Amino acid sequence: MLNSVKLIHWEFILPLGVLGIIWHLLSLYLDNKILLPPPMEVLSAWWQIFNNELPGDIFASLLHLSLGYTIGVSSGFLLALLAVSFSPCEIILDMLVEILRPISAIAWIPIAIAIFGIGELVPVVLIVYVSLFPIYINTVAGIRSVDKRIVSVASTLGASRHYIILRVVLPAALPYVFSGARLSMGVSWMVLIAAELIGGGSGLGWRSFWYEQFFAMHKNMAVILTVGVLGFTLDWLLRKLSARLTHWSPDTRLEG
Amino acid sequence: MQKFWIRILFIVAILILWEVSVILDGRLEKFPHPVGVWEALFRIGNERTLWVAVTQSLTRVLIAFVIAFILGVVFGIVLGSFTILDRALSPIIDALRSIAPIAWIPMAVMWLGITGKAAIFIVAYAAVFPIILNTYHAVRMIDRSLIHAARTLGASKLLLVYDVMFKSALPNILVGARISMGFAWASIIAAELAMGIKIEFGSKQDFGLGQLMVNTLFIERDINALVLYMLTIGVVGFGIDYFMRVVRRLSSPWALL
Repeated sequence: MLNSVKLIHWEFILPLGVLGIIWHLLSLYLDNKILLPPPMEVLSAWWQIFNNELPGDIFASLLHLSLGYTIGVSSGFLLALLAVSFSPCEIILDMLVEILRPISAIAWIPIAIAIFGIGELVPVVLIVYVSLFPIYINTVAGIRSVDKRIVSVASTLGASRHYIILRVVLPAALPYVFSGARLSMGVSWMVLIAAELIGGGSGLGWRSFWYEQFFAMHKNMAVILTVGVLGFTLDWLLRKLSARLTHWSPDTRLEG
Repeated sequence: MQKFWIRILFIVAILILWEVSVILDGRLEKFPHPVGVWEALFRIGNERTLWVAVTQSLTRVLIAFVIAFILGVVFGIVLGSFTILDRALSPIIDALRSIAPIAWIPMAVMWLGITGKAAIFIVAYAAVFPIILNTYHAVRMIDRSLIHAARTLGASKLLLVYDVMFKSALPNILVGARISMGFAWASIIAAELAMGIKIEFGSKQDFGLGQLMVNTLFIERDINALVLYMLTIGVVGFGIDYFMRVVRRLSSPWALL
């Protein structure tokens, strides 16, 4: 189930084709283009908006995502380094994470709207918030789990502290960092769509409700499909990237 | 003990810093502040709206979770047991899983109306995938040698299914249930917020926490109450997670983790 990485493969295409046929028959049966637009109509709507507003929406969404994700992931990573280096920082940061983590990013949306107003900042701020936790937790766990013997060996062989941190500890923690980054990406994508839909002024989430107000459900369905395809692609890219960068790690090899 | 005091000191310092900076800034209606939230607690604690809204949201989560749990376990067992069905259906499940549940809200509202049903659909959609995945892996990970051993020792069909298969799969299924409860609680708030903001309000009786927050945000304009609601969401979420962990520990004490 998790191994459907090969994108172009009949095992992948055939079931989706069957799903499309069922969808088509169902829409013929319902015969209501607002309730269930037929798949061909959704595809042509997709082509139509792809030549008009869709690229702009995708760009806006990716911009929100990349801004928020970059800030969130890099500050989560830096905070984790801080926590590992100084124990008072760790006490405080761990407490903050434990307090804040149960509060889902969604619950912050109304407050973000109240402070920043409906617009671009709401999705960005929420993605920063939501992507911070997985990368922080995983980086701390990764550094803690580095084999002490490797560090001792390196320092016995005369490596400097600087060298040990950069060339021994961080690479050993890298697989954890990457799985944190992937988790961050997954939640970021979900929160991005929610934040745009509820409190954004642009992007795919916002667009889908915009169509809904005109009962243009075929276009709305096309946006939903785009969200799915993009979400899948982002996860796939990150998986490839982490496999490429941490190919030496036994964890990666296990995942295949 | 020293740790404890560092934490307390830090929290108190943060709260004082926060309060002072908001007061110095002077825009008390725009930024929430600790004293305001404290006051909101007493104001709102006396009314019933918050409790009604929490009950409403929790009821929706529960209905959606039951639906998702039944569907997820059935699909997970089927996919885990029959390789052909696994191959045929997992691309569809992967494709559906990639779509953020929230993106379905416009369609769900079309299909089910603005009452709670659309929110229940969204929550069930969000909650079903962790259960499918975990049940699938739970079924896959049942130790073959246990089954062989039970068979060799002459176990009946019932004993084989209940005592061997069910009991070894249950802990993993409940891990999925716990994850999916977390998703469910986050998505009920998202669904209710979206419906409150984008569609319309409906009667106050149907207010979940999300609609209540929208109402507070745009009509009552009470930002301190918003923070209080946000904290409520956190506390309830924490409670749900704790409850799911207890359920797992009590119902499958033989699981190690």
